[in-house]
Amino acid sequence: METFINPKSLFHLLLLPCLLLYSSIAYNSSPVEAAMHTNNWAVLVCTSRFWFNYRHMANTLSLYRTVKRLGIPDERIILMLADDMACNTRNKYPAQVFNNENHRLNLYGDNVEVDYRGYEVTVENFLRVLTGRHETAVPRSKRLLSDEGSHILLYMTGHGGDEFLKFQDSEELQSHDLADAVKQMKEKHRFKELLIMVDTCQAATLFNQLQSPGVLAIGSSMKGENSYSHHLDSDVGVSVVDRFTYYTLAFFERLNIYDNASLSSLFSSYNPSLLMSTAYYRKDLYKRRLEEVPVTNFFGSVMETIHTDAAYKALSRRNSGRFEDEMSLDQSVHHIKRRMLIKVNDGDEIHDINPELLQGEEGASKCPWSTFRNKFQKAENVDSLLNYGLVAMIPLLVISTWLVQ
Amino acid sequence: MAEISEAPDSDSSKLLGSDSKAPQRPDSEPEFDPKLMRKTKPGLKRLFLTFSVLFSFLLGFPFLWKSVEIYRSPLPFREIDSLSTQLRSDTLLFPLHFHALFVGFDSDPDRLRWSILSEITKLTSQNPKCSDNYTLSVTVDLGSRCLRGPTSSPHSSSYQCGSVTGDDFVQNDDVVVDERLASVFGGKNNEYSMAVVKGVSERAVVGKYRHAWMVVGDGSDVEMAVVKVAEVLIKVFINGGREEGLIRNEFMPVGADGKIVLSFNLLNADPHDWVYDWDFEKIDDTLLTPMIEALGPVANISVESQVLYHTPKASFSYWNQKLESYVFSTKDLPFFVNSNEWHLDTSIAAGGRSKILQFAVYVPSAKECPLLLQLPNGEISKTNGFISPMWGGVIVWNPQGCLKDSEFKPSAKNIIPIQDLENMFEVFIGQFRQLFGFKSLNVYTGASGDWNLLPSERGFTEWELDVLSRQHTCFNLHSCATTLGSLSRLVQSLPRMIIKDEIGKQVKLSLEAAKLALSNASSGVYEFSAASSSQARSLAEDAFFHPSIMSVSYYSFEHCFAVYSPFFLPVSMHVVLAALRELRRYKQEKAKYLAWKAKANTAT
Repeated sequence: METFINPKSLFHLLLLPCLLLYSSIAYNSSPVEAAMHTNNWAVLVCTSRFWFNYRHMANTLSLYRTVKRLGIPDERIILMLADDMACNTRNKYPAQVFNNENHRLNLYGDNVEVDYRGYEVTVENFLRVLTGRHETAVPRSKRLLSDEGSHILLYMTGHGGDEFLKFQDSEELQSHDLADAVKQMKEKHRFKELLIMVDTCQAATLFNQLQSPGVLAIGSSMKGENSYSHHLDSDVGVSVVDRFTYYTLAFFERLNIYDNASLSSLFSSYNPSLLMSTAYYRKDLYKRRLEEVPVTNFFGSVMETIHTDAAYKALSRRNSGRFEDEMSLDQSVHHIKRRMLIKVNDGDEIHDINPELLQGEEGASKCPWSTFRNKFQKAENVDSLLNYGLVAMIPLLVISTWLVQ
Repeated sequence: MAEISEAPDSDSSKLLGSDSKAPQRPDSEPEFDPKLMRKTKPGLKRLFLTFSVLFSFLLGFPFLWKSVEIYRSPLPFREIDSLSTQLRSDTLLFPLHFHALFVGFDSDPDRLRWSILSEITKLTSQNPKCSDNYTLSVTVDLGSRCLRGPTSSPHSSSYQCGSVTGDDFVQNDDVVVDERLASVFGGKNNEYSMAVVKGVSERAVVGKYRHAWMVVGDGSDVEMAVVKVAEVLIKVFINGGREEGLIRNEFMPVGADGKIVLSFNLLNADPHDWVYDWDFEKIDDTLLTPMIEALGPVANISVESQVLYHTPKASFSYWNQKLESYVFSTKDLPFFVNSNEWHLDTSIAAGGRSKILQFAVYVPSAKECPLLLQLPNGEISKTNGFISPMWGGVIVWNPQGCLKDSEFKPSAKNIIPIQDLENMFEVFIGQFRQLFGFKSLNVYTGASGDWNLLPSERGFTEWELDVLSRQHTCFNLHSCATTLGSLSRLVQSLPRMIIKDEIGKQVKLSLEAAKLALSNASSGVYEFSAASSSQARSLAEDAFFHPSIMSVSYYSFEHCFAVYSPFFLPVSMHVVLAALRELRRYKQEKAKYLAWKAKANTAT
């Protein structure tokens, strides 16, 4: 009997279930059709207030200028600046923001569109931008309208620490909040790939808790290290740029929209002795090789284009003389105007109808007990419950005072 | 109340120790130790007071608990799961019926049917998401009588024998033939018909409605016809002229709320040279409105237009002497759109979740006029236009002035001539079709030959609208199921997050719309299923993106504890301690009294 159980048959016996398992896994994991890369978005956040944090504003504006120069339009950039340096009363050069003491470049010069300014830059608004959960009245320019083909660049700068980033000197963004927001973005296919750049002290701790695939993150310093400013502008009176951003900009100033320098060349251009910190990047969640990814995949904008081969010629069969019929045209013009008016009204009506439909079930009920129960369960039940509780305590008080006498 | 009797004696006895002047009657009274005994029953007043306070706190505790309860509207988790599993396991099936008619052939219909079916199975790919459940019936019309296979099919019996003859196809006008066949076949909602006729000139055309026809020469055999029939049925009627079955996501430009905004922009690159305007309303009414109505079930479309000035392009072009014009190549196309200067994003009609498609007409400046697009094979493009998926399309239009500059007098405002505008809009409609994944060409090049696709005035033929409805129903239902699944997972992972009533209602309405879409799809009514599936998707997206679901604002347990403990902890400590202390005291006094009573009893 032992001769049957020889190694070969054992091997075959083991192979069969393995094959079955493998085929079942291959069948179950549905083939994920990778979406085509259709557009690029940039979310640039500066989280610090006060004049002495001028350099954080200059960092963000420098990156804004770079990203625009390489092709991302304003409609796909969300710029959040927590304070206003250009029109600050302490600014010796009003309406000008510089990132270098030679004042060669005015970052606030022309075409700067700030989406969230001043006190609108809060942790809640930031997370709303990332997850897409806005109130209905928020305009499109303040929303991150990305889809499953978008590459998003997320740049954050300010003061930070171990697993947090300080917002507005009063609240913090924690690393688990950021990881949670990114996870929800991935669930809803709001990005194809995400590049997070953080320029704060102990920046690499901010993306410790990330777990979603397709995310690449780089921070200017590791845990326990500070990130330093580059130089002080004695004319303006404050430091004007941080080291990490300074060397990032130095890399990009050599590029134009047609270049295809890779991300690995960007990441290897950071010299720890010049930065006075270690720029650490995390690529375990990112599937592609960094040598193959051009920086314009995130920092620029390259549109996928398809040529239109032919016109759709159905309409040339029509009588081309119809446009000479003025009478019918005037009527049609009026008809259009009326149609547009009607469309607007329909929109309003539809918006009105929906909430009524939604609340239709709470109709008038005759029985007082059910109305009482309904009132009990409506929005103001917390206060009413407390009132009822307090009222119920009064007989107890009365009884106890009677007993004392 | 209780301590009335023996008051004077106990008073005097409490004053001093055991060796006081009490023992005047040493015989009647036993030894009295005030530390261990008492003569009166202990009172209950104090106990009652403290316990009533404790009891009132305990009574109020449920009210407090209810008042800090997180309001969570009950979501139908099980129904969401069942929708997901239903969509995943039994794939969404669209019922279709094919009818093939052979005129002038002498073959057995069942054999033909079998060979067409085998060809079809060779061509259908495994599409896990949504597939089609098709049936096929074949009719051979021999003039005098008809042979049908299968004989009992209800669809093929609706065809009147002899209504289609070879004479119908003699003339060369496809439109007339199309109308004739439409009157014969009827073109009901999920029935597609195919007519193969023996005739003189070979021709293969797909009509505007739901039928196609093929004229084969006398010498060709029926097997070739069978292969072509199978190809047109699968590749054209089911797949819409595309290679793979399902449209990829980048060709579904419908917003999450089911709306699309078409934004038409006329860009004058340099107004110093010339300024052009267009009569948009005319063209909108005549050319765009029928198309927008036709696409009603798939998306709710609105149209806007604007004219912009000072909008140069971002790429470069070079002068080509042979063509006597400025030429830009397809390599420049990704850099053509100059986002810094082209402010196309000023829509007021678009809501937060609608999709905007930009269509731009670029009028070049005098320095770059005429501007032509050169394809990689060296030819000049006939349309001068291109699209970018999910963004829109661009057409370059060269004004009259640069072609014959001697006759042109630049006036303050020029209107684009009507004929040019019509041509431009035909290209726009072609681009719009491309954005939805169809080709703008009117020819389908298949493996076994070319087919002419007849165009329709509405921009999309009936069978193309069917393809769109089916694909969008499939996509919308899957997207709805995944969104609701994500929402239920999110809600269950944060047990202390407030869930408002509105979210619960949106989820319920979304599930109802999804069920309606599924039932409509299985009965073959594509338009209604597309409309309800898009409604299901938009409701699911509204529920998922409801602004109140923010993890920073949910009511964590630490918060609750930190708010209530500074008051309740000290107070409850005092109350409980007081009650316990009173209870202990009462027990002690009671023990003392019982001891005295025992002693008194043993003494007497």
